[in-house]
Amino acid sequence: RGKMAAPTGWASLCEKFRSSLSLSNVESKKDPENEPYRSKYGARELLEEIRQLLGSEEAAEAEGAPAGEAAALRAVRLAVVEYELGVNHTETEELSAGEEHLLKCTRLLERHRLSRGCVSLYIQAQNNLGILWSERGEIKTAQTYLESAEALYNQYMKENGNPPLDPNEHFMAEEEKLTDQERSKRFEKAYTHTLYYLAQVYQHLEMIEKAAQYCHTTLKRQLEYSGYYPVEWALNAATLSQYYLTKQCFMESRHCLAAANVIFSQAGQVPSSEDNETEQDQKDLQQRKAEIARCWIKYCLTLLQSARKSLEDNIGELDPDRQTELKAQRKKEEDEKEKGRKKAVLFGTSDLCDSILATEEKVSCICPLDFQEAREVFLVGQNYVHEAKEFFQFDGYVTDHIEIVQDHSALFKVLAFFEEDYERRCKMHKRRIDMLEPMYVDLNPQYYLLISRQLQFELADTYYEMMDLKVAIGNRLEELDSHTIKKINSLAQLAVKYYELFLDSLRNPDKIFPEKLEEDVLRPAMVAKFHIARLYGKLITSDGKKQLENMQTSLEYYTFLVDYCEKHPEAVQAIETELELSTEMVGLLPTRMERLKAKLSPFS
Amino acid sequence: MAPGTKGDSRDATLPLSNTPSTEGDAIKVYVRVRPPSEGAALADGDQGLCLSVLSSNTLRLHSKPEPKIFTFDHVANMDTTQEAVFSSVAKNIVESCMNGYNGTIFAYGQTGSGKTFTMMGPSDFDNFTNNLRGVIPRSFEYLFFLIEREKEKAGTGKSFLCKCSFIEIYNEQIFDLLDSASAGLFLREHIKKGVFVVGAVEQVLTSAAEAYQVLTMGWRNRRVASTSMNRESSRSHAVFTITVDSMEKNSEVVNIRSSQLNLVDLAGSERQKDTHTEGVRLKEAGNINRSLSCLGQVITALVDVGNGKQRHICYRDSKLTFLLRDSLGGNAKTCIIANVHPGSRCFGETLSTLNFAQRAKLIKNKAVINEDTQGNVS
Repeated sequence: RGKMAAPTGWASLCEKFRSSLSLSNVESKKDPENEPYRSKYGARELLEEIRQLLGSEEAAEAEGAPAGEAAALRAVRLAVVEYELGVNHTETEELSAGEEHLLKCTRLLERHRLSRGCVSLYIQAQNNLGILWSERGEIKTAQTYLESAEALYNQYMKENGNPPLDPNEHFMAEEEKLTDQERSKRFEKAYTHTLYYLAQVYQHLEMIEKAAQYCHTTLKRQLEYSGYYPVEWALNAATLSQYYLTKQCFMESRHCLAAANVIFSQAGQVPSSEDNETEQDQKDLQQRKAEIARCWIKYCLTLLQSARKSLEDNIGELDPDRQTELKAQRKKEEDEKEKGRKKAVLFGTSDLCDSILATEEKVSCICPLDFQEAREVFLVGQNYVHEAKEFFQFDGYVTDHIEIVQDHSALFKVLAFFEEDYERRCKMHKRRIDMLEPMYVDLNPQYYLLISRQLQFELADTYYEMMDLKVAIGNRLEELDSHTIKKINSLAQLAVKYYELFLDSLRNPDKIFPEKLEEDVLRPAMVAKFHIARLYGKLITSDGKKQLENMQTSLEYYTFLVDYCEKHPEAVQAIETELELSTEMVGLLPTRMERLKAKLSPFS
Repeated sequence: MAPGTKGDSRDATLPLSNTPSTEGDAIKVYVRVRPPSEGAALADGDQGLCLSVLSSNTLRLHSKPEPKIFTFDHVANMDTTQEAVFSSVAKNIVESCMNGYNGTIFAYGQTGSGKTFTMMGPSDFDNFTNNLRGVIPRSFEYLFFLIEREKEKAGTGKSFLCKCSFIEIYNEQIFDLLDSASAGLFLREHIKKGVFVVGAVEQVLTSAAEAYQVLTMGWRNRRVASTSMNRESSRSHAVFTITVDSMEKNSEVVNIRSSQLNLVDLAGSERQKDTHTEGVRLKEAGNINRSLSCLGQVITALVDVGNGKQRHICYRDSKLTFLLRDSLGGNAKTCIIANVHPGSRCFGETLSTLNFAQRAKLIKNKAVINEDTQGNVS
């Protein structure tokens, strides 16, 4: 080998390598469907050639000088080729061959894996081994590779930290080599992939908390290294907020949502690539915005509901002692607790961070403890309801629209909990009726059976609640006036009507009520029966005969519960309290009825 | 056999069962084993088969080390006739459709497992007198037979209007097979008529023969499309929908009923090859995806696990599940025909088809009621 030949030989080798990359990454996207791997196979051929050339060189070297710098260099180059071959084979569904190449790559690098020249390649090889094993369904093995890649990154950053070489640089002329900034970017990206794969691995292994943490970190790193699509990122962050909601982590949830808003607004600012942005793109964008709004609605709703839970007494009313207690506690605890947690999850740097924090300030992440605080959260939620409804209109998005209105109704419901004035509380429930009832009337249950049932049930429940409130208001009066009595009776009748509609929806086409209720409707059906029984008990009438009739109907419904549970003992656990009260009423009512009968005709 | 409403099979099955809907709303799953292609079976002998049918509702998959037994609503062996498949799968659904229910029949399975044969019949015939015609032509015949009978019974008091549409879903895009010039149709929901495809051609049908004509024309479009745009038909889902509206006048009261029958040929279930969509999604690699754009799916899965009711998931269903929302756990009678090829080389795909079918059995009408128990009992 002449000294002069070497550079040209090396240059052609580099050229081959470049061609193989372009075949594999660019050309392959244009391959015809019936030959999906044509370019990949082309790339593979080139890589094999390079390996041959490198291999023979190395063999020659091995006979002579001891393993020095030159040998190490060749080993790394060979490892790069093995890596590319490994990826190539796995991508073309030849997993075993792919595994072999990737393992060869890691073996070649083993001793130098912490060096600037090798660390990135080593991590990427392990990423790919992780993918490979997950394709084989061996998630545990995948996990081992990926966790070891993660550990290697951490160790390298601790011990060295200089921007490492990109694997492709091993086939570049000196003048083409990358800047340190570019090196860092690529290295960090490889590591982001490690974390992203780990997020998936943990999800598959049902290590949910860990998976969420890795999703969060992936999102965070996407922002830091600016490798993201704003809309997609925002949607992911908004979705992650919903995970935190299910864990009652309101601070984290709000942070994700605020970040989603800020990043989403970037999408609008970026002038669309060309001016031919279609109407459809605009529509998609609006839809995404509405989706994020819906995540905010759930945030406000869950926060309020959680607050209610911590404040209610054993009959579901606001407990003032508890309220005072929690208010005193709040100052002390929350501040410190959140400061520590906050550092761990913060998205973005400086500017971005400021915008996110400014968005966060618009709504609390601490459970509201009185009406004023609850109202503030409610109003934010209500604003997002309006925003979401702008896109999800009734005509065209029936299901989505109704879901949003149901949330709106739920917001009113939980706000009513904090309202002390019964009249005003009643008005809030009336608002719910006014938004739900017209939708129900228009809906075709043939296509929307589930929603239709939900609306029936919710309407029934709302009327039931309003009736209870009217009774409570009436109880404060010296004497019930005829207007209040009329009101109570009509609310009770409307509640009965909707409960009955719900129960009728369970009947089969021959109008027969099922012998055995499906698990998913068991509890609602039983609750409906139970509430109807109570409603008949509450109807006010001065007509004794009518009262007797009502008691009789009430008894029938209570009896239904008791009989059903006797026949289907597995139902008991779903409706324990209701059953207990029903059994009691079935025992009491006949005697009461006897007494009433005696009173009605004392001489018979 | 004459086309239309007079045939051998129907006379024997005239009486409409009076209780078509007492079996609950769970999805019915029917497995059909196709015969291996000629030659292959002879050469391999019985050893070449990866499964055996044990009874009319169980089959054994010769997996190693332990064979697996699967139970379904029905298992049809290789000798099962097209007529028998129709009788046990589709008949009931067509009848419910006359009673105002929506109905859906899916065919699922890997390419080459016999989906098209089951649903349509042999590819090279073009009249539907053929004894090998599949579920779809037979459903047409039966539906129009029932309509005629109803009309006769009710006299002038009752009238029917049947319309059909035929669409294809490919790469999450909707195409109208009855109008090959159209592209990119959208799904919308309507308060009264549920989910529908905006702008899809609706053709009025007056007879089974007409329905069959529309079907074959659309089917041809599907194939043409698969070459001109370099698509594979097995990667698209085809949905043929018949809407049946009936109007009955009883003295002054007008009773209107409307129902839908969806006949669906699903895309091949085998592993989808690297499709390089847009370059954003680099590669789908089994359980782990190279592209970070799938992060959302991971997070969605996390949220799904949470049991709190109050959450919103930003990622929409696929077009197909959205369109058939009603059939998958909604208010409809639904049946899935899982087609499998018994060859031992198809073991992997057969296993995944059977696993899918097993899961499908668990889908049922999910009626979640928002019920707040707090404070209601006192």
